Amino acid sequence: MVSWSGRRKVWTIILFIAPTLIGILLFNIYPIIYNVFISFTNRNQYHPNPDCSQTFTGIIEPSCWPMFKESSGVSEPYRIQDPPFANYSALIGDLFSGPGMLAMGKLFLLIIPLIIANQINKILDRQLTRPLPSYLVWLGALVVSALLAWLLDIKTVLDTLQKSGDFFVVVFRTILFVILTVPINYIFGMVLALVLNSNYIKGRTFFRAVMIIPWAASTMFIIMSLVWQFFFREQGTVNQIMKVFNIDPVRWLSDPTWAFAIILLVNLWFSFPFCFNIILGALQSISADQYEAADVDGASYWQQLINITLPLIRPAIVPAIVLSAIGAGGFQMFGTVWAITAGGPTRGAGMPGATELVMVYAYKQVFQVRAYALAGAFAVIIFIFLFIATLYSLRITRITKGAYE
Amino acid sequence: MSRRPGILMQILQYVFLAFMTLFALYPIWFVILASGRVGDRLYTLNLLGMFIPTEFTFTNYQIMLGGDPHPFLSWMRNSFFAAAFTTVACMMVATSAAFAFSRFRFYGREFGLVLLLAIQAFPGVLSLVPVAQLLTALGLYANVWGLILAYVVGNLVFTTWLLKGYFDTIPIEIEEAAMIDGCGPIQSFLLIGLPMAKPALAVTALLAFMGGWGEYVFASVLIPAPDAKRTLMVGMYSIANAQNIPWGLFAAGAVMTIIPVILVYTYFQRYLIGGLTLGGVKG
Repeated sequence: MVSWSGRRKVWTIILFIAPTLIGILLFNIYPIIYNVFISFTNRNQYHPNPDCSQTFTGIIEPSCWPMFKESSGVSEPYRIQDPPFANYSALIGDLFSGPGMLAMGKLFLLIIPLIIANQINKILDRQLTRPLPSYLVWLGALVVSALLAWLLDIKTVLDTLQKSGDFFVVVFRTILFVILTVPINYIFGMVLALVLNSNYIKGRTFFRAVMIIPWAASTMFIIMSLVWQFFFREQGTVNQIMKVFNIDPVRWLSDPTWAFAIILLVNLWFSFPFCFNIILGALQSISADQYEAADVDGASYWQQLINITLPLIRPAIVPAIVLSAIGAGGFQMFGTVWAITAGGPTRGAGMPGATELVMVYAYKQVFQVRAYALAGAFAVIIFIFLFIATLYSLRITRITKGAYE
Repeated sequence: MSRRPGILMQILQYVFLAFMTLFALYPIWFVILASGRVGDRLYTLNLLGMFIPTEFTFTNYQIMLGGDPHPFLSWMRNSFFAAAFTTVACMMVATSAAFAFSRFRFYGREFGLVLLLAIQAFPGVLSLVPVAQLLTALGLYANVWGLILAYVVGNLVFTTWLLKGYFDTIPIEIEEAAMIDGCGPIQSFLLIGLPMAKPALAVTALLAFMGGWGEYVFASVLIPAPDAKRTLMVGMYSIANAQNIPWGLFAAGAVMTIIPVILVYTYFQRYLIGGLTLGGVKG
């Protein structure tokens, strides 16, 4: 282990790390503290200006700092809310009232079969021979969940919750988006990787090169999203093709369900090359001996897939899946939605639109409604959730393993 | 898998591949087609015209490069400037931090590394207001340097983590040998660490550049006006959000923006895929 001794070492470390620390402090930590503070005030379009006579406000607001002091506006300055958590309760609405809690409890009941299935699988894994394969356990759990959904009349439950306020609507929709988009992207990537990993396909180099193109274009997601938006405009390409076959045009982006499906489709276009390359890399690291041995034992293609391929690529793709789910292609999806639907179509004034995911909602609250304080409270709740999710994903992915050596 | 699939399975596989190829390529191909059409001719395409360039002119390219009505070349220069300086600054700051996190043992090292990742979880969209205020106070609002500053910090965590991972894989013995010969930490960093990390530096630099080149949200808020100071993505978005969208112009601009990136990605394909395992940190 390298160690440069003495006092010089401390100064060297500071020299190496200080620029990063200062940057992180100013552009990452400061915005977090600022947002937490703002979330307890009533800052909005009517009270946009700080009251610099307040000590804390004077410290945290750049426009109050003596060297940058600007003439503040004429309107009344924003103040701490009374009670302080007013923004949070406005945001969450009556989610935690009696009916809301009951509805959430019912929703939670649906997840319980899946948790049980996971535990059963763990127990079965420890035994020498499995009485039944894991996908059957999962299938059973899904059937039980569906049955519960029908028994508990989940539609009315969701209606109750949707009425409780924006927060549930937006977060529920985003979770739905993640649950749909991540498996879709990875299934397409996986099938493609399995096909292109086979030695009997001609032109594999060509196909691999082709699949890199959406990935390259995904760095400029705004432009490509606008192109996709053109396809689904009322006079766009898709409707023109349909006209040739005498199918009535569809107003894709004005229909809530279609708009949501289109976002899923475009996200698939942006994301599948990444999934494909991750899975292909994992597939290529599996040695051929395993399949030869399985062939000798007479295992079919599907048996090999389920018993050899999937378990062996699992360590490589689980971290990727977790990171996709909480990243910009999943929970924090913004650019694609913003360019294609801007959160719409709306269902009514003041209600979040059909594709208004958390980041789109937050952006609109800040830059269109100018409800800074409310958006701050929203940010804090989302941050707590993402913070925990990130720490959990670090544990799963063991990406920090290197840090502890 | 070693066994040859049945004939039906093979046909199915080729059909799937053909479908995915069409899916992957069509949007790009469509943009190229559209860039060769004038005005609103996109709305009156026949089936053939959607797949084959039945007419093609370079008028749209001429208009876009001519700078009127859209200062396309200025946008391109601004974006290139922002992305290039972001890359240089980010590499300078992040490599030294990554080297320190990889080679030095100090109090708070593990905590610092995990904290870096965890605070990244704060949604970027929501830090925009305080960042904009901070930059206003520093006199860098509506200024490309302010944008560069925000980009550099936005890229720092990812770059630091990726490079730290790479430094960890470089054997430490060379540096220990150099240390015995009287090499200090800074020399060791500049003369041994940096040259040995060249492949990782190339990949991270490329990713940082592309991040700056394609970023939209920060650019749209931090440099709202005037038109000539905008970046490429903000400018292109403004074209597509105007009344009577000039799709031909938009497509010509899109082709000129995207094709270079696709070429670069195809060329560096192998290195990029190699950097994927840690690239996943970005999500």
